[in-house]
Amino acid sequence: MKKQYDKKRVVLNLILIAASVALLIYANENMSFYSKRIINLCAVYAIMGLSMNLINGFTGMFSLGSAGFMAIGAYAVAIFTVPVDVRAEVFYLQPMWPLIANIHIGFLPAMILGGFLSAIAAFLIGFPVLRLRGDYLAIATLGFSEIIRIAFTNLQTVTNGPLGIKYIPSFDEIWWPVGVAIVTTVFMFLLIKSTYGRAFKAIREDEIAAEAMGINLFKHKMLSFVISGFMAGMGGALMAGILGTIDPKQFLFTLTYNFLLIIVLGGMGSISGTIISSVIVTAGLEWLRIADEPMIMFGYHIPMFRPGFRMVVFSILLMAIVLFFSKGLMGTKELSWELLGNWYKRQRARFIKKDPSLKGGGSK
Amino acid sequence: MKKILAVLLCMTLSVGLLAGCGSKAATTGTAAADDVIKIGVFEPLTGGSAAGGELEVEGIKLANQMHPEVLGKKVELIIVDNKSDKAESATAVSRLIDQGVVSIIGSWGSGYSIAAGDVIKKAEITAVGTSCTNMMVTKGNDWYFRVCFIDPFQGKIMANYAFTRLGAKTAAIIQEVSNDYSVGLASYFKDEFIRLTGDANSIVEIANYNTGDSDFSGILTNVKAKNPDVIFAPGNFTESAQVVKQGKKLGITAPFIGGDTWETGEFIDVGGADVEGAVFSTFLFDEQAPLNDKAAKFIEEYKKVYPDKTIAAVTALGYDSYIFTLDAIERAGSTDPVAIQKAMASTAGFEGITGTFDITADGDADKDIAAIKEVKNGEFVFKETITLK
Repeated sequence: MKKQYDKKRVVLNLILIAASVALLIYANENMSFYSKRIINLCAVYAIMGLSMNLINGFTGMFSLGSAGFMAIGAYAVAIFTVPVDVRAEVFYLQPMWPLIANIHIGFLPAMILGGFLSAIAAFLIGFPVLRLRGDYLAIATLGFSEIIRIAFTNLQTVTNGPLGIKYIPSFDEIWWPVGVAIVTTVFMFLLIKSTYGRAFKAIREDEIAAEAMGINLFKHKMLSFVISGFMAGMGGALMAGILGTIDPKQFLFTLTYNFLLIIVLGGMGSISGTIISSVIVTAGLEWLRIADEPMIMFGYHIPMFRPGFRMVVFSILLMAIVLFFSKGLMGTKELSWELLGNWYKRQRARFIKKDPSLKGGGSK
Repeated sequence: MKKILAVLLCMTLSVGLLAGCGSKAATTGTAAADDVIKIGVFEPLTGGSAAGGELEVEGIKLANQMHPEVLGKKVELIIVDNKSDKAESATAVSRLIDQGVVSIIGSWGSGYSIAAGDVIKKAEITAVGTSCTNMMVTKGNDWYFRVCFIDPFQGKIMANYAFTRLGAKTAAIIQEVSNDYSVGLASYFKDEFIRLTGDANSIVEIANYNTGDSDFSGILTNVKAKNPDVIFAPGNFTESAQVVKQGKKLGITAPFIGGDTWETGEFIDVGGADVEGAVFSTFLFDEQAPLNDKAAKFIEEYKKVYPDKTIAAVTALGYDSYIFTLDAIERAGSTDPVAIQKAMASTAGFEGITGTFDITADGDADKDIAAIKEVKNGEFVFKETITLK
């Protein structure tokens, strides 16, 4: 019985994978630049959401440092992938630091470098900071993210200071962001299913109990923090690759709240929830642009529809979602075939109860 | 209760859906006749820079009302919000391109324009900057033009003003180090001032502060000790007003001079009596003394719509960028992006309401005149113009 069920699941999974690959190839070939950009942004937000969910949702630590880690990754790409011959043009106020002025690497090594630098920063900052709990940890990580930003603002010869860096070779294809997002998601699923993931969850539920069970608190918290830092660095690197230009002001602490919104909306401690909500937030906000455009309905010009109105609509929708799903869209559950099947069965049962004629003759 | 909410939610969503269909129907209805030329506008209309974006959109919309046609076709403006965010700017511009605009106008804030520039360059469609003064907006991008002057020019203007009009021999710089605009202006001011005075030590102090700071007594005490003849403090209006205010309290008598961002009502609101006499350079537009007939006409029309408002220079620049786009389409004789790009690049002697200019090889307006304004009796008063050769 169980074996048969597993077989069914494998088949369904394979169909799903094939369908999504086909869909992605189709999207990459046929979609407009605009749609591809939205897909790219969704992917980056998903990576950032997963990175934040690992600490906040799975390990139960309240960290607000995402923007800082993202900045490190983004600057790694920005500094090392800009072609050497246009660097003088970018650093027009003060020339680039000679030590790094001629180092040029491709996007992939730069992205991985960004991830590692971010992870190293997480490791270093983790030592003093991870001793804190709750709000104190949040404040310390928030402070760290601001320190990174202000350091980048003042390192004129390395980061071009507030002027930012232009001419980062950017890509229109969806493969980099979507590819990394898929790898990150799979990695997260495996990580959460492993002993480490169970330890993270144990820490989230009750630190003292977890420690009593022999879990090394500091080691596991640090591991979660460093992995999250690595992911955020990759996310930042991809962001730089999509935009082609970055400056320190982009990485203001308010950026972190976007990711916080995504994980709260999707469910703290749900991987699939994070993916779903990053798509909802990014693509949904784009779709709501119709609220910004003047609208004529039945020959009447509705005055409410003007630029900026979509933010009002978006806020109302957010409030409604939070009212209905107080634990986020997915809570701590994951999207699975069982969940979908159960949902379908429930709906069907409800439907049948309301309309006895559909039940057939058997039950009477 | 939950059911009512669910129903309400569904209604909001369906209204949104209907709105989508409604507006699409409306645009396809008119576009089907192929007699509409779409011009896209991307501006910060929500978020931190919304006030500036709103002012520019005012000018662009008014220009569209006054000149609704080009090549015998109606011009339709498509305005999108970039949320005062770089990533959003690039997306907003992609959306405009997706909707088939022939040219793009925007934006307030150089950062947003630079982020969008990458998309614009790849899509090979022309864009006209309104008040984005950073050099990097047009540099290395053949498709981005602008109707305003650039940061190096403004820094030089103020150095000239300090040297020739105020007779300053030494100067101190107070810059907002996290603001590209402030750092850029300060750097060009420094170079030009040293060149004019011929004295490498004429800049006696360069002090830094961050956006959002509110206590400047430390840096001001340092500046005061060096006793400069003039203090150049370009930056965000709130912080700048505080700098001037606290400087006056400390007993600094040297005049404070700055850049065009000071021309905002908040600068006077925050600074009060202390900012009296503060001098800054700005875009050449003055509603009391219109430059030409077009400017007079614009002022007249503006006053009809907004009788109580003083016209901001950026509103006039919004107007100019629209007219500049229309002029280029007219001369190109078609809506082909390459033809428009050529027409824009070869613009010579364009008579705008903020001055007459040619387009340089970089795609910038070669404006050589800036207005100098002063705060007098709680108002911005036109003082003089400075021409830079």
